[in-house]
Amino acid sequence: MAALAEQEEMHAAPAPASEPVEQPDVEDTEIPLVFRIGAVIAFIVLLLPVVVVVLAGLNAGEYLTFPPQGLSLRWVVHFLTTPNFRDAYILSLKIAVVVMVISTVVGTMAAIFMTRVDFPGRSILRAYFLSPLMLPGVVLGLALYAFYISSNIGLARTLPGMIVGHVLVTVPYVIGTVSSALYNFDLSLEEAARSLGAGPFEAFRKVTLPNISSGIMAGSIFAFIVSFGQFDISLFLSTPNQTPLPIAMYISLRYRFEPTAAAAGVFAITLVVISMLLTSRLTNLRKFAGLKFG
Amino acid sequence: MTVGVSEARIGPGEARTGWGNLFSSRYWLLVLPAFAFFFVFFVIPVVLLFAIAFNPSVAGVVRFTPSLSLENFERFFGSSLYYGAALRSVVLACVVSFFTLLLGYPLAYFVAKTKSPRRNTFYMILILVSMQLDIVIRMYGLMVLLGDNGLINATLIRYKLIATPLPLMYNSFGVIVGLVQLSLPFMILSLIGIIQGINPSLEEAARSLGASRWSTFWNITFPLTLPGVLAGSLLSFAIAISSYVVPALMGGWRVVVMPIHLYQQISEMGYWQFGAAIAVVLFLISFVAVYAYHRFTENTIGGLV
Repeated sequence: MAALAEQEEMHAAPAPASEPVEQPDVEDTEIPLVFRIGAVIAFIVLLLPVVVVVLAGLNAGEYLTFPPQGLSLRWVVHFLTTPNFRDAYILSLKIAVVVMVISTVVGTMAAIFMTRVDFPGRSILRAYFLSPLMLPGVVLGLALYAFYISSNIGLARTLPGMIVGHVLVTVPYVIGTVSSALYNFDLSLEEAARSLGAGPFEAFRKVTLPNISSGIMAGSIFAFIVSFGQFDISLFLSTPNQTPLPIAMYISLRYRFEPTAAAAGVFAITLVVISMLLTSRLTNLRKFAGLKFG
Repeated sequence: MTVGVSEARIGPGEARTGWGNLFSSRYWLLVLPAFAFFFVFFVIPVVLLFAIAFNPSVAGVVRFTPSLSLENFERFFGSSLYYGAALRSVVLACVVSFFTLLLGYPLAYFVAKTKSPRRNTFYMILILVSMQLDIVIRMYGLMVLLGDNGLINATLIRYKLIATPLPLMYNSFGVIVGLVQLSLPFMILSLIGIIQGINPSLEEAARSLGASRWSTFWNITFPLTLPGVLAGSLLSFAIAISSYVVPALMGGWRVVVMPIHLYQQISEMGYWQFGAAIAVVLFLISFVAVYAYHRFTENTIGGLV
């Protein structure tokens, strides 16, 4: 616990827990009115569609009207009791968990190497691991699909084949968060453990790992949520009878507004909100600025 | 044991240098799984796809053959159907970047200047939620709002403000709104760091010398944030031009951009070679933006890894 608190301090996280005293907002009045109005408009553009999905999912009627006719759990119950979107949601969850585990392990190992060994090609290696994010997702999905079919390795239109694609675009996030946690970690602590007789793995597990755990957790949450909401990679790789939630919603949206899909959306929104709340506790949110392309 | 201790002495600041280090400790074993995974499932597939683009088009065949030709690219740049889609994609992405900047800057400024850590975190969570939420779910909300029988049109008609529905969707307007929705969080996050990095004493000095808030902003703050403006715009451009799902849903197949041609060539016609050629063009256009973005952020924001 002490290690976690220390970690938070190192990251200078604006976490509510570490700053219980609310500062007076004297400076906030310095923001010109035009910017305040602009900010409100931008927040509306960002969040109104999300609010609409929540309202549509909790709406009593068949169609969403303004003002809403009333709230009910009708579509939520329908979502939970019919296989259509429920199974897609569960499949997305399963894929996201598998992707999270693989990306966290592989990415953390790579991050340790990249922060502890310096060699002339290090920046090239860094670019190498970021490169899947630089390719349009549709192009990457297509490349994998063409590779699976032409090499005949039995991954085309299979779940493992899709998971491979998700791992490619989530490992960079893990490498990013774990590397920055490792940079902030004082290696002399591990050395001290070693000099007191701990083996290399024991020293790492007992001293380093607890100190970088918040970075690892933030990275794995990001890997989870990026996989859960992944559309572009899955477009060419999803199996015909087992579709993850984004693909299932896309297919249904081309024909009609299924209120059950909105109910599924409510559960997805809840998941994303919880994930981001957890991330904000673990690391400085500003780290994720422009992470998409490194 | 003693060897182990000396190995552990490699700190980030005093890391060993030179190629010899790569294999001097057993640390390289740690990077091997990730490196091999990326090589097999990223480098090989992408090289293969780009190589297939130089094969003559044969429907339904996905195998690289040694007979190279520029036939697919000649077809792409010889038909207005295809190069028109490329131009449309570029123009749309530019328009999206512009409006994303127009919307994103005030919000980024607002969040960057919010001093209360609690409210700052709250705003950041809102932005990140909208960024990480599956784009299809967000498009559902947008389609319910903008459709012919959608919330906006139905409400306007009910209160007799308009007689026929406004064409808000299944056209370029709808696609632009959708793409702005998609790229706005990335723009905001690119700008917040830059705006927060400005030394407040610069603005204070201008104010104390008698400059108005507006002239302080235009003469001091805005010029200092130009790298972020450029980075955010390039990022928005790259995101907008790469999106398949937004033009497919918001344009209803009527706004044909490059990713839509790409999907049709592969899934409906089975022309892998021509689809691969479209992928190469799409990649090159977005890569120019991403590369420029990378160069700018490297010097200003600092590398993440």
